[in-house]
Amino acid sequence: MKTFLFVQHQAPHKNLVGQEGLDAVLMGSAFVNCTLLFMDDGVFQLLRSQNPDVIGRKNYPATYVALRDYGVDHIYCSVSSMDDRKVMREDLIIEHECLSDRAIASLFDTHDVILSF
Amino acid sequence: MSSKNDKEEIAKEGLDNKNVDSEGFLRRLSDWSEDVAQELANQDGIKLSEEHWEVINVIRAYYAQYKISPITRTLVKVLKRELGDKVSSVYLMQLFSSKPAKLVSKIAGLPKPSNCD
Amino acid sequence: MKFSIAIYGGPNDSQAPLSALHFAKAVLSSGHTLYRVFFYNEAVVVANELMVAPQDELNLNQAWSEFSKNHDIDLVVCIASALRRGMLNESEANRYEKNNHNISPAFTVSGLGQLIDAGIQSDRLVSFGN
Repeated sequence: MKTFLFVQHQAPHKNLVGQEGLDAVLMGSAFVNCTLLFMDDGVFQLLRSQNPDVIGRKNYPATYVALRDYGVDHIYCSVSSMDDRKVMREDLIIEHECLSDRAIASLFDTHDVILSF
Repeated sequence: MSSKNDKEEIAKEGLDNKNVDSEGFLRRLSDWSEDVAQELANQDGIKLSEEHWEVINVIRAYYAQYKISPITRTLVKVLKRELGDKVSSVYLMQLFSSKPAKLVSKIAGLPKPSNCD
Repeated sequence: MKFSIAIYGGPNDSQAPLSALHFAKAVLSSGHTLYRVFFYNEAVVVANELMVAPQDELNLNQAWSEFSKNHDIDLVVCIASALRRGMLNESEANRYEKNNHNISPAFTVSGLGQLIDAGIQSDRLVSFGN
């Protein structure tokens, strides 16, 4: 089976890219092994202290917590992206593993298909 | 926004195309109530029992927390965890016809799935 | 080699649909095959048949439609992205009780499964935008 790496790069509510990227992960999980990586501003998607309902945006990041029901068990965050943005592990809504830039490079190497959002 | 009167009117007068679309989904999710749920179920000839309500309540709580209604593939998994091993796809099909995910969403007053699967 | 293309960037806020078209032509002229082109995010707007460009500018809807016709290539538009942006074909217009539809015949409206399938079936899935 091919392995797919989904990469979330962008902050959550400035456009629909993050939300539609999540839709792609949900669909991918039906067919292939999916790994999900948050890096750059993408780590902001996982912030616990966000309340997008008040600006009329759907709180889609809540769905990341349900990904275990979809068989997506490998969820990673870039440690350098978190450090640059002063985001701490406990600020994030889901269980995740922090990866160094070197480890991220090998993630890109070891997956067959990369979908970047 | 829907008022209390809308809900009472639906419960008393039944559904018409003002309240539901051509596929029988509520036009305004805020119109939902337990009485309205029975009206929605009537469209498919379903009399809601204890067993139906167990499922509806789990799925509404799941949606409230994770902002997603489980698709068929994950529905059984989620319900098994919450309601025990009696749940299977056959069990759901007996309660909610051959398309349980779509029908549960409709009766539970959750968003209409886009024609994605 | 068997390629597929995923396009994410819109026709007016990015170069993605145009770069992808150049790439698609290069794929075929180099003797490779193109399995599928999938339009996602803002790129779904390329399927809008009502797009009108000034005569001295490229009409991307027309350019992609002609490419698809000349080479018999499957152009797929993601249904969920399309709906959000007011892009409907006739059957979706009926489903959502709208009076009009605006997706060109060269484009097929389908689910995200087609993007995943393109990744599985192709030797390379090349993305434009994002």
